[in-house]
Parts: sequence; structure tokens; C-alpha cells
Amino acid sequence: MRYLCLILLGLLAAGEAWGYQEFQIWVDQQTTRNVNCALCHAHGDGPDGVKPGQIGSLDAEGLRSLEAARQAFEPGAEVESPILNAFGNKIIERLGRTGFINLRTRPEAFPEAYGLETDLDSDGIPDAQEYLDGTLATNPHHGAPLRLLLHNLRVNLGTLLLIGLATLLGLFGINNLLAWFALATADQQPSDAEHDEATHSEGGGSSNSDGTTEAK
Amino acid sequence: MTALDPFLFLGLPYLALTLLVVGSIWRFRTNRFSYSALSSQFLERRQLLWGSAPWHIGLFIVLVGHLIPLLAPGFWKALVSHPAMLLAIETIGVAAGMMALAGLLVLTARRVFSGPLQRITTVMDLVILGLLILQVALGLAVALNHRWGAQWSVGTLVPYLRGLFTLRPDMELVIALPPLVKLHVVGAFVIIALIPFSRLVHAFSLPVAYLWRPPQKVVWNNPRRWAVQPRSVRELEEGRRLFLRGVGATATAGLLMGVGVADKLVRFFSGPRMEHEEEIAMLRKKLERLEQTAEGRELELERKRKEFIHVAALAELNGSDGKYFIDYEMRPALAFKDGDGLPLLISAKCTHLGCTVAGRVDPQGRILCPCHISYFDIATGRPNPGSPAKAPLPHIGWALLDPSGAVIAQKAPGGPVEGEVTPDRLQGAQVYIAKRFAEEGRA
Amino acid sequence: MRATQCLRSGIEFLAERFPIEKMNVRSMVQTKTVPVHRMSWAYYMGGLALFFFLIQLTTGLLLLFYYEPTVSDAHASVERITEHISGGALIRNLHTWSASAMILTVQLHMLTTFAMKAFVKPRELTWISGVLLLILTFTFGFTGYLLPWHQIAVNATKVGLQSIEEVGAYLPGAMSEWPGLIKELIQGEPSVGQATLSRFYALHVVLLPLAFFAVLGLHLLSVQLHGMSQGVDRPARRTERFFPFFILKDAWLWGLVFLVLFVLALCLPFEAFFSYPLFEAYDPMGSTPDGIKPEWYFYFIYYPLELLPFWVVMLAQTAAMVVLFAAPWIFKNSSRRTLGILAVAAALYLVVMTLFGQQIYEMFKGGA
Repeated sequence: MRYLCLILLGLLAAGEAWGYQEFQIWVDQQTTRNVNCALCHAHGDGPDGVKPGQIGSLDAEGLRSLEAARQAFEPGAEVESPILNAFGNKIIERLGRTGFINLRTRPEAFPEAYGLETDLDSDGIPDAQEYLDGTLATNPHHGAPLRLLLHNLRVNLGTLLLIGLATLLGLFGINNLLAWFALATADQQPSDAEHDEATHSEGGGSSNSDGTTEAK
Repeated sequence: MTALDPFLFLGLPYLALTLLVVGSIWRFRTNRFSYSALSSQFLERRQLLWGSAPWHIGLFIVLVGHLIPLLAPGFWKALVSHPAMLLAIETIGVAAGMMALAGLLVLTARRVFSGPLQRITTVMDLVILGLLILQVALGLAVALNHRWGAQWSVGTLVPYLRGLFTLRPDMELVIALPPLVKLHVVGAFVIIALIPFSRLVHAFSLPVAYLWRPPQKVVWNNPRRWAVQPRSVRELEEGRRLFLRGVGATATAGLLMGVGVADKLVRFFSGPRMEHEEEIAMLRKKLERLEQTAEGRELELERKRKEFIHVAALAELNGSDGKYFIDYEMRPALAFKDGDGLPLLISAKCTHLGCTVAGRVDPQGRILCPCHISYFDIATGRPNPGSPAKAPLPHIGWALLDPSGAVIAQKAPGGPVEGEVTPDRLQGAQVYIAKRFAEEGRA
Repeated sequence: MRATQCLRSGIEFLAERFPIEKMNVRSMVQTKTVPVHRMSWAYYMGGLALFFFLIQLTTGLLLLFYYEPTVSDAHASVERITEHISGGALIRNLHTWSASAMILTVQLHMLTTFAMKAFVKPRELTWISGVLLLILTFTFGFTGYLLPWHQIAVNATKVGLQSIEEVGAYLPGAMSEWPGLIKELIQGEPSVGQATLSRFYALHVVLLPLAFFAVLGLHLLSVQLHGMSQGVDRPARRTERFFPFFILKDAWLWGLVFLVLFVLALCLPFEAFFSYPLFEAYDPMGSTPDGIKPEWYFYFIYYPLELLPFWVVMLAQTAAMVVLFAAPWIFKNSSRRTLGILAVAAALYLVVMTLFGQQIYEMFKGGA
């Protein structure tokens, strides 16, 4: 087992020590956000190393699924590589390793090849769009703020309607109470104009003039 | 299904509706001025307020909740499909029902216990009160025993009641419902049938316009009035209306908010409902971090006790990607292979504000501290001119040991290489850091 | 003789600031009035800050049920709150948004009261307690930032604490060691670790709130005792009674603000504005991700620290602190116009540094 592991490590060190960094660099340049390997990999520092989610930490089973994922050259194979996150695995599934490697020289063509259909974290922003925005496709709390806001507004419409209704009612109620207090206190302090009913507006809704008294 | 069902759910509804229409017209034509409830405010005021107000407000809310699904079932269905909305509706319904019931009980107590009132209380008044109490209690029992009625009624009661009005009644929709619900439905028809023959008829003269009509001025046409009572009646009425609207709206808003907050909090306190796999993964993650912490402590101890600490095999090192290790000061450091094939060890703790410097060497032979963008030349350790870091990264002394543990060569920071270095001696050599150099550095 | 004189004048000073005869509901609530003029909106700022503090208190207490303040668990527990606890993300987001809103409001409150010259006799202690509350609010922000124990939290805290140590270079002799010692005292160990997390937790959750309550009590008491300051040069023609009118309007504003805050917290995770790598769990052995910055409300001091020599910033900061605390005496005879201009200038500085700090930094450092 140890032997196999060492061979694999050697292969990797020679072949692709940094994963497919071109995509990360491109996203880094295109967006205002800093991204790291966690965009597609299980660990933020990439596949190499001994930390969780890196090749050095894999057990026999992990190595087997890694090997299976490495054989997925054609699209359509459902892979579960332990060094990739859900987005990484989806990429292999949709493009195949060959397709993906072919894109290395033109990272800008990736979204088109990957398509806009999948949204792994169901935050309303397709994975490919998250790639363009430099946000994490696997975290529902992460996305371009405006897109995320619009999507969540739609999703939470019911709750928002309720709290909007509650707020409107509350504000309306307070307005009325203000007007009522204004009326009540106007009575307490007998003003010199006894019959001036015109001072109180018909609607009773405007509150900025109510409840105020002239300074003596 | 009992033998009575066809009568209760087909006969009774139409009988009740007929009675309602015919009876109302009859009463209007024969005794128009009885089209209201006999006032008893003169006889007893205080309890009337505490009974009548909650009863009417509660009843109004409940009726609205019953009428909307009947008039706009599609809209209602969309509304209750949202869990938070459903919860809010049910809670408001139950709260309003309880309010109505409490009001009714006060009204009943008043009718029963107040002496003067006995004189104007008819048998029909008491019957109606009893029926109403029963009906509201039944409604509450339905709401509490068969929850989410706002939702399930959409497929049962709503089509049945709509069928009654479109003259295509479908009894099958209700006969399978629980007895409580059926009783509530029957009770409703009985009360509808009795409306024209009781004080309930005043519902048809409901002053709904009160809340927004312009104030009416009832003039007490007597000069003495202004002396006795400077407040105009209009102001009184205006004030009462403002107060009612204010309290009503804020209370409803408070109730809505309360329901929302309670809903969120109950679920918040019910704790994390994780899948077993998720929980295990989370525990593993914590364990890994704990292990990392333990490793850190172990490293500290090792540095206290050992003269040499292993960094890497010389063959593992290269000139472009540094290997991280922890030096004697427990600071991160990087190991490279220099141009001459010997190790080059440099601290990776930025001299600016202590971030960890990244391990990749750029084409100019520099490593970058990403926090505030300082480039350090790995050969000299110096930061680039104008960078936030001013001091150079210190080099770290190293020792090369052969597999048997004998020192092949060593180098203090800034000093010359001590020991003979030939390619064959470097075969299998391991890079170490030495306590000696660390102590010299401190001194 | 001299001492008793001092004592007597001290007591007199306090008696004037806290008149016992006014300490009753009638004077503090029923007869209190609020002037109505074009700057009246500023009277709502304090209440708004209080509202955000109450939200912080509530949401903070709720978070306390699930947060675990250890190096190995902190990040995972925050993750659990966000992902696995119903409403957890909302509550955490409310806490974050409201923290920012509170800091913003507190600053605005300070600037407006300054511009309205609300600190002159007998309100000196109100002002000073206000400045203390401002400092406490910032300390809340600084300590709370560390608790999730992610990359940005730990590294930003390291950077912040490091600047304490740097003061040492400007102190003579043995004193130059002191800032370093103070830093380690705050950290509890040579570098930021479990001890730091534990004490920041204790500070953020227990000590600071207690201190805040005490100072807030004093602040509110003196506000109610002396009423709202006149605020403008010509006494307002109209006044409005504090109870019930002003307080109801306060509630009105609170309702509206809560709606906005809730919508934001529900629909826009605060983390969406950052690069994600920053929010990964802190790894003492790993590399530091790019883009480590303190929270936005520290930009006004962070960017100067990056751009200017350290001693300049320290000097300016000390001067600003002295001016803030001594404002009631320094600006005793300044006109409201002057104070207004000063406040606008300070506000401009804060806004520009917060919004365009990065651009200014790149302009001078050339993005090297």
C-alpha cells in the first residue's frame, strides 16, 4: 500500500504538481476577488500535501476513487474524487478530463463548455456564472451580492411579504396613535381658540405637525 | 355516513339560506327599525366594552379568514403553500378565535349576572349566545385538533361550500371529515338560519364605513353645550377612531412579528438536525483540528528538547516551491534548494506584520507576503524597495546529516559552510535545523 | 484645606451634572421636550444606535447557544450554525449586519452631536460617556471579528495586535518593552492562539457587555436628566414632548430600520462580499491567503497605517483621542458653524478612506 502511494506521489510530483492552475489565475485576474484552489479542490492549497483533502492524506479507498476519477477521460462518468469538491467532480463529469485539459489554454471558454444548467449550491447562480464571478460554486452563502440578493428575495417572498405587512401595519398604527395623542393632549391644554376645528386635519394621518406646541 | 348526512349537508344549507333571505326581507318589511341590536349600553357599560370589542374584532378576523378562501381559492392556496405564512395564518386565526370566545363569555356573564339587563334579555338572545359560544369553541377545537385547516380545507370544505352556491353541491367532500369539523359546519348553517330572527340581524347594518368615512358631527344644538363641554363631538369621535386604528394595527403587527419570531426561535432551539453522515463528518473535522493543535504542542516540546529538528530530505527540496517547516521559535519557515545544491532556509514570518509568506518563488527569485504585498528576495532575505516590510527575512542555519545521524555539513546564518560537501556525500542527506544556531541568534 | 476645596468643587461639578431633584419620572420622562428644527433628525441617531445594540444583544445571546470557543471547534461550530441550525444563518447574518450598522450609527451620532455642540455644560459627562461607548463599540467589533476563527479573523487580529507592539520602537529605554508585554498580556501567549480566543470570547461576551451597560446607563441617565440639547443657534420655535411623541417616532424609525436590516440579513449573506478563501478555518502552518484586511470600519486607521510612517499615525491617533475626550473644554467657545465644518470634514475623511482606501493605497504604493 505504502509502495503504491509512493509511486502515485512520484507520478503526481512529476506531472501536475499544482493541479490546473490556469483557471485559478484567470479568475483571479478577471474578478476583484482572490480565489484559491478551493474553487474546485477539496483543500484550499491544492491537491498536494498531507492535509485533509490532499493526496497525502488518502487511505486505500480514497486512492481507489482518485484513480477512478483519473480514468474519466470522457464526459458522463460520475466521479467522486476525494481531492476535488463537488464543483470539481461535476466538471469532470460534464467535460471529461480530456475536455477539461483541452480548455487549459483558454480558461475564458470554460463557462460555455460547462453550461449554465447546474447550480450545485442552489443559491440561484449557475456554477459557470459563479466561476465568472470568482465565487464559490459550492457555498450557498457565497455569490455575487446582487445576484444573490435578487435570488433570495424571490425565494423568501412569503416571509418578506409577512414582515412587510407587519411593518406597514405597525407604522400605520403608530401614525394613528401619534395623531390620537396629539388630539388628546390638545384637549388637556385648553387653547385659546375653542372652536378651531380646522387645526386638526381630516385624515389624521399626517403626524409631523401633531403633538407639537409652540414655545412660549 | 349516517342517515342524517344528506339532510345536514344538502337540505340544511339550502333551508338556512332560504330562511336567511326570506326572513331578512320579511323582518325588513314588517319591522324595519328592529334591524339592529337592542342597545344595552345605558344599563351596563364597562363589561360591554370588554366583551363586545374582543368579540367583534376576533369575529371579524376569523370571518375574513373564512371568506377569503371561499372567494379566492387560488390566491389562498398560493398563500398557505408558504410554511411561514401558513403558520402565521393559523396562529392569527386561533388567537382571534380565543379573543372572540373570551368576548362572548364576558357578554354572556353580563347577560346572566347583571340585574337590569335581565329585563331586556330575550330567550333568543341567550340561545344565540349559547350557539355562538358553541360554534366558536368548535372552531377552536377543529383548529387545535386538526391543524393546518387553512391548507386542508382548500381541497374539501372550500369546493363543497362553493358547490352550494353554484347549485352543484357535492356532499361527498365533507361526509368523510372528522365529526368536529362536521359539527362546526352544521352549527354555521343553524346560526345562519337564525340570523333574521335574532339580534344577529344587525350584521347587515354593519357600519364598516366608520373607519374611513369623514367624521360626522352630531350637534347638540344648545349654547350651553360649549360651556359645559369644550371638546367637540367630532374630536371625540375622531380620537376614538384614531385610537382604535392605532391599537388595532400595532397589535396585529405585534402579533405577526411575534408569530414570525416564535416560529424562527422554536426551530432555532430545536437544534441542529444533521444527517448521521454529516454529524460524523463534522466530528471528524473537529478531531482533525484538535490533532493539529496537539501536533503544534508536540512541535514545541520537540524544539525544547532536541538539538536537531528534521526539515526534509535534501532531495525533496527545490528552488521554486518552498517546503514549510516550523523553526525553533515556532515560526513558519521555508526550505529551498539553493543554486549550489545546498539547502536555503529562510523564515516565512513576514517582518512587517507577521503573516505567513507564500512558498512560491517568482521569476525574480522572490517570495510574496500576500497580506500587504512585500516581496522578499530569498537569496538576501531583503524586501523590495517601498514594500511595507522594512527588515529582511532572516535566514536560518541548517545542518546536513547522513542517514546514520552524523553531521556532514552545517551553516550558521550568514556564516560559511562548515564541512566537506561532495555529491556522493550528499546522497540521501537529510536537512535539519539546529538548536545551536537558534540560541546563537537569540544571544 | 486645598484637598477639601478640590473635593467640594468635584462634588459640585457632579451635582450639577446629576441633579438629584430632577431624578424622577416626571422630570425625566413626562415633561422632557425635544426641539423641532432642521437638525431634528439627528436626535434619532442615539436611539437608533441603542436599537442596534439591542439587536446585537439578542442575536448574540442566541449565537451563544451554539458557539464553541476553542481553536479546534470555533470554526466548525460557526459552520454548524450557518448550515445546520434552522434560522442560524439568519441570526448570524443579523448579528453581522447589525454590527456594521451599529458602528455606522454610533459614528454618525458622534458627528452630529459634535456639530450641534451638544457637549457643552452641563453635558460634558454625556459626551465623555458617549466617546467611551464609541470605543467600546469598536472593541466589540475587534474582539468579535476573531471568534469565527477563520483565516481573515486570525490574521487580521494578528496584524491589529502587532501594531501595539510597534509602539515600543518609539519609547525610550526599558519602556520600549512594555507594548510588547501588553500585547502578550492581551494575547495570553506569545502568538495568537487558544488563550487569545478564550479571552476575546470572555471580553466580547461578558466583560464588554457589562462595561457597555454601565456606561450606557450613565449616558442615558444624563441624556434624560438634561434633555436634548438646543442643537441650533436660534432656540427652536417649536418643541415636541418626548413622551409619547418622540418615543413613538423613535419606534416608527426602529420598525422601518428593522425591516431593512431583516431583508438584508435574510437575502444577502455578509460573507458574499469577501473572497472565500478568507473564511476557511485558520491553519497555523499553512500560507496566508491574499486580501487580509480588517473589517471596513477599521479602514480609516488601517490605510493610513499602511501608507504613512507608523509614528505619524500613532501621533494623529493619540491627538484625535485627546481631542475627543477634551472636546467639551477645547471647543467651549467655538461656533456651531465651525463645529459643523469640522464634523463634515471628519465625515468626509471617514467616507473617503472607507470607500476609496484601496484606490488611494494603490495610487501611492503603485500596486507593487
